Amino acid sequence: MRTLAQQRSWISIFQKYQGLVGLVVLLIGAALTVRDTFFSPANFANILNQLAVPGLLAVGMTFVILTGGIDLSVGSLIGLLNCVCATWLVAGKSTPITIIFILALGTGIGAIIGGLISVSKMQPFVVTLAAMVSLRGIAYVYTNNGTVSGLGSKLDFLIAPRFGLPTNAWIMVFVTIVASVILWLTVFGRHVYAVGGNAQSARYAGINLTKTRIGAYAINGLCVAIASLIFTARNTNGAPDAGGGFELDAITAVVVGGTALIGGYGNIVGTFLGALFIVCLNVLLILKGVNTYVGMGWKGIVILVAVYLQSIGRNQDS
Amino acid sequence: MKNLIPLLALLFIAGCSSGGETNSATSTTGTTPPVASGDKPLVVFSQANSQDPWRKVFDASTKAEADKHAAEFSYETQDASGKSETQNNMIETFLIKNPKVMLVSPNDLSVTKAVETAFDKGVQVILLDRDIEGEKYNYYIGGDNTEIGRQAGKYVGEKLNGKGTVLMIQGIANVTATQNRRDGFMESLKAFPGIKVILGDDCGFQRQKARAYMESFLQKNEAIDCVYGHNDEMAIGARLAWDAAHPTGKAPMFVGVDGCQKEVVDMIKAGKMDATFQYPTPGAMGIQVASDLLKGNKPKERRIILPTVLVDKASADKYLADNPNLAN
Repeated sequence: MRTLAQQRSWISIFQKYQGLVGLVVLLIGAALTVRDTFFSPANFANILNQLAVPGLLAVGMTFVILTGGIDLSVGSLIGLLNCVCATWLVAGKSTPITIIFILALGTGIGAIIGGLISVSKMQPFVVTLAAMVSLRGIAYVYTNNGTVSGLGSKLDFLIAPRFGLPTNAWIMVFVTIVASVILWLTVFGRHVYAVGGNAQSARYAGINLTKTRIGAYAINGLCVAIASLIFTARNTNGAPDAGGGFELDAITAVVVGGTALIGGYGNIVGTFLGALFIVCLNVLLILKGVNTYVGMGWKGIVILVAVYLQSIGRNQDS
Repeated sequence: MKNLIPLLALLFIAGCSSGGETNSATSTTGTTPPVASGDKPLVVFSQANSQDPWRKVFDASTKAEADKHAAEFSYETQDASGKSETQNNMIETFLIKNPKVMLVSPNDLSVTKAVETAFDKGVQVILLDRDIEGEKYNYYIGGDNTEIGRQAGKYVGEKLNGKGTVLMIQGIANVTATQNRRDGFMESLKAFPGIKVILGDDCGFQRQKARAYMESFLQKNEAIDCVYGHNDEMAIGARLAWDAAHPTGKAPMFVGVDGCQKEVVDMIKAGKMDATFQYPTPGAMGIQVASDLLKGNKPKERRIILPTVLVDKASADKYLADNPNLAN
């Protein structure tokens, strides 16, 4: 028998995450209508395969949004990194060196954006909007308006199946776990929440706002870089227009996962479920044969409902 | 100020899931009802996007042809709204349903891997309009953009009597249609050394971008004798800009490519455009090939190239009669 206190804590946890529970129920309900195809092992791998890129972007975005910021440049950044990565590999540079360079470049650009936001005191929306435009332009200039192809199978090991699941799914799960640990168990992680919750009091408490913000945006950049490698492996080329609109997909996953856009509230598990929810929704719409644009209309409504459910949970929590 | 961020972001997200597009697209593309397939084989079609008029005609003619074969196979279509990643996911998800034939109009080369996966699984893959990298597909059906460019170049060269200036309004830079329609055109113009070509901007195959570009270009007051748009939409946009700047007087020639809109044919009849070159839609042929394959008949050619048609004032009426599925 559980004690009363334990039962209460279960109820409070349920209340806190009722939005997520709602998501799962909604999804299972919908999936049951195409259960012969949806609940097949092939589709399980299919969903995880599709989840990797938006999931990684959403994990990075969670850090940024928790600090009260936003990053609109991730779509352009993934496009640029995709082009750089493809160009390097096609030019014959070694795969490990290219990967290290891409990871460093993504982290560096993220850190620079974070630094600009901290130093200039401009709205993150504006700074990253500018970065979105510039990085996209650079991608086009870098590739001379062309698509970089001829990559072959150099990055195939990133998407090959291992232990029953595609490698990119394992990477996604690993990054999610590490990110959760960083947010919950490290000083930096707690600072991220503090800065987003109330920047003023965080500063009075002696937290270095600049360092925390740069850290959050750098982690986001790193996540984008990892995503760009998987993206390149899947697409086997570099396209300057790659990743258009991915920033919105990432933000959608984060808000559906229950993180507050004003910062300071939310977590990675929610984001993971949010991203999973969106991907499952996409797959469902295809399996059910719904017209893409009709599907988009429904998706908007479902997202709104999901976020509404989350906000109820959040209000009860606070 | 902090409240502004979530508000704007929400607006953005709302925009991204755009309800507005839903209405316009449903009427033309239509939803595929989830057919109770029974034992009928499945034919799926992964469209790159349905956003421009040419694609709408493409979709409509594919659907019309598929309806004729409804007794032979069930047919499902999805559209990637112009995103390669979406198309990759779509193709992989389609495979869960074990289709016999997959028609794919690739968004770009980025979908190569997904198409190869389908091919490796033994699905008959028919590429429509655009290629992938490599040879892992069964059939290709499409127009020949280089030939269209050549014919357009020859037409313009002859109409201008071998001298003058042509402004070329270009499509998306990293798309082969753009490159081929440009290169074929330039190839033909080698026979007309008196003609100078101004390579205009990438206007993304879009009317409003071409109009804005043309408006700026006209500020330079350079004499031009012909505008060649890599598609009709851009030629129309340029024409609109010209008309706004020059309500009266003689206009240069306007030549486009695609010939999929009734609007263009009407403009040709009204003398607002001089000519367009049809870029044939491959969907109906794709469905016929799919039907043949299911019956065990293999087409003779692996690459089926559809011919172009010149539409000018003389042939406009016949063209309208021959092509009932034109977009409005």
